[in-house]
Amino acid sequence: MNLSVLQVGLWLIAGAVSFYFSLGNARVWTSICLGFILILVGEIIPAAVPFLPGLDIPQVQAMGAIIGTVAIMVMTHGFMEYYVFSRTLEVEGKRRFVYLGTGLVILGSLGFVLVNPVPSARTLEIIQIIANANWVFLSLINIDMIRKIYLNVKETPIAKAFLAFMVVFLFIFLWKGSLLYMQVYDLQALAAAYPFRFEFSQFCANLGNVLASLSVGATFLYLARLLR
Amino acid sequence: MILLPRGNPVKEKLNPARVDLPGALGKLHQGSFTGYLRFEGEEETGILIFERGRLVSALYEDSAERWVAYDAIGRIFEVSLLGKTTLDIYQLSPELALSIHALLHGEVLYRGQELKLIDIKGLLGRIREERLNGCLRIYAGERIALIFYDRGNALGFFHDGATDIETTADVSMSIARLPGAKIDLLATASFDELQLADLQASADLAALWQRARARVQERRRSQEAEEGRALEEREAQRRRQVLEFLRDTATRHLGKVGAALTDKEFDKAVSASALMTEATLVNFYLALGKAARLLAGASVVTRMLEEMKSGVKSLLK
Repeated sequence: MNLSVLQVGLWLIAGAVSFYFSLGNARVWTSICLGFILILVGEIIPAAVPFLPGLDIPQVQAMGAIIGTVAIMVMTHGFMEYYVFSRTLEVEGKRRFVYLGTGLVILGSLGFVLVNPVPSARTLEIIQIIANANWVFLSLINIDMIRKIYLNVKETPIAKAFLAFMVVFLFIFLWKGSLLYMQVYDLQALAAAYPFRFEFSQFCANLGNVLASLSVGATFLYLARLLR
Repeated sequence: MILLPRGNPVKEKLNPARVDLPGALGKLHQGSFTGYLRFEGEEETGILIFERGRLVSALYEDSAERWVAYDAIGRIFEVSLLGKTTLDIYQLSPELALSIHALLHGEVLYRGQELKLIDIKGLLGRIREERLNGCLRIYAGERIALIFYDRGNALGFFHDGATDIETTADVSMSIARLPGAKIDLLATASFDELQLADLQASADLAALWQRARARVQERRRSQEAEEGRALEEREAQRRRQVLEFLRDTATRHLGKVGAALTDKEFDKAVSASALMTEATLVNFYLALGKAARLLAGASVVTRMLEEMKSGVKSLLK
């Protein structure tokens, strides 16, 4: 069963909810929401709709992976800011700087990709591996950081939403971890020799992806209800 | 309280704080005034007696102490400047002024005797037998009459509104008949023995006045400082009460983080030295509301802020 259409539908819901949520809320939420929207832009859409015009261009594929990397970094930045707030109770910074900073990083990356030779298949694979490695390790870091945030704010109405985010990153870890595992061991090429590992990893990646998109959408809806 | 009949009023119920007393006393001297000035406070009374323009007597009493002459003048100046007294001026004849002077510096033999409980005939007989120089003071409520004796013989009476010693006893008798009437017996020196120095001539009243002003200013300064400290303490206590209430409210809605957030925003927004009003808390509510939106929804934050505002309003009343 091809889950791509379902995945993109779920990520669209998650992206829409998180975008709506970022409006009118504090800057930390802007970072977190922007991260989830960038996942949709950078990874889900190209993966789910391979017939989109220009997706076969190597530079576009490279940018897709880079935007995915930026997504987890922006999210991590948001959770880091929330963690600092939960410790110091200081609210600072402006929302527009998040948009501006993210935009500049993406533009810089685009410039970098454009001034360099056309990415080969190997280059694209390395960029993908770097992106997935970032996702895997930053997901683990985020799970720990969100746990600490939860402990700091556990008596507040919002506290349970952070437990939900921990679950989201657990699914993201499953999704991206499976992809990373397949890339590191080149399981696609060795599928005939290791059919179970390949199938299982593929299954975990798809399951993680679906559960991550489901849980992100649900978490943001829950968060919106809590913060109504 | 110095009990004296009022005499013939020249001025009554003046505020001596608005009078240049050394100048006024100088004018009484120049005008050869005879009579007395009464400075009446809640617990203190000052009397200045003039005889043909000479300031022959000064007396000041409060509930604890009694001052005479220059010390009394200094005290009178001081309480006058503090605005704690009213000034009444009564005109008398020279003989009556001297009699009162003698009376004020005499010795109290009996004080506050219930008239109906004493043998008045026996008392009068004793005055005669002992050839007493002195005075019987009869009083009931605010009404006072004096009966002067010279070597045991009645000289005459002094009542409210009189300027001279009178020979009719009607008023004295009417006071004696009032319920609760009391009597004092005072022995005085004879006129010959009285020293009648003019205090105004022998003292620098302007200097006494300046010293009294300095003391009053110093007292006012220390009183203001004391009041300032008390106000600060009250303000600090009010601040603590308000902060405690705000913290409790925040804890109920946001938990411990809410209390910590309240402390932080309160310290930042409300100056410790300024008087706290509802207006000074506006920035606090704004900052707390903004930060609280990271911990709870708009409805919870709005409810919390509304509770805080109405609670603070009643605390600051």
